Amino acid sequence: MSLVDSSLISLLVRALDLTAQRQQLVAQNIANVDTPGYHTRDIDFRGELQRALWAGQADPAAGGAPFVREVPGLIERPDGNNVSIDRESLLMAGDQLQFQTEAALLRSEFSRLQEAISGGGGQ
Amino acid sequence: MSLFGLFQISGSALAAERLRAEVATSNLANAETTRTPEGGPYHRRMVTFTSQPGSQFHLLLANSLAAEGGAGGVRVAGVVEDPTPPQRRYEPGHPDADADGYVSYPAINPLQEMVDLMGAERAYELNASAVQAAKQMIQQSLQILK
Repeated sequence: MSLVDSSLISLLVRALDLTAQRQQLVAQNIANVDTPGYHTRDIDFRGELQRALWAGQADPAAGGAPFVREVPGLIERPDGNNVSIDRESLLMAGDQLQFQTEAALLRSEFSRLQEAISGGGGQ
Repeated sequence: MSLFGLFQISGSALAAERLRAEVATSNLANAETTRTPEGGPYHRRMVTFTSQPGSQFHLLLANSLAAEGGAGGVRVAGVVEDPTPPQRRYEPGHPDADADGYVSYPAINPLQEMVDLMGAERAYELNASAVQAAKQMIQQSLQILK
């Protein structure tokens, strides 16, 4: 494990990746809000992050593509579409905040590293 | 990463919803049109949407190639004409009246078009806020560099 590739940093990077991918799926669901027969798609964020954690122990570069599944239990409209605008809006807002948090954590981790490199700073 | 792919997805939906609004407006504008270049009255038009292939395969491909593009947005499959026959009104003095004095008017229900227009407007708004979210996320990831 090198200095700038700690397990925390690679976990945060994976989390950022997953959040961005999920946001892409949310955007896709929103884009298809009027497409007949379209079904809401999503990834299991926690499960995927867990999987990345376990995979990361064997091979830091591992992770692979997240498994995209159709979301069960949503009410289908007569045209076969089951996109819920409320669900997608909430997810969009939540993902945005989550991304912000992960980016801030990553930033603070890097600044901690910077501090270590400069020898505690201030001298 | 695929953050910029968000713009493509939401952008495709913005374009599609705009076309839907345009078609609804055109239907409203032509509610009384009895003459068209193709002959006969105007026919109500409808936009059909289809989702772009952006499923598991795309994500796999994007992951392995780190490629953008091919995002699973929405595509306009086509603009189709409503097959409903025109409404016939008895107006013998009208220049487009047939031999029996009936004029064929397009079968357009303004209420239906207004509802469609409102739906397109709301969907456009929703996708615009998705673009806003993508912008913020990209800005935040740029902050990491600082």
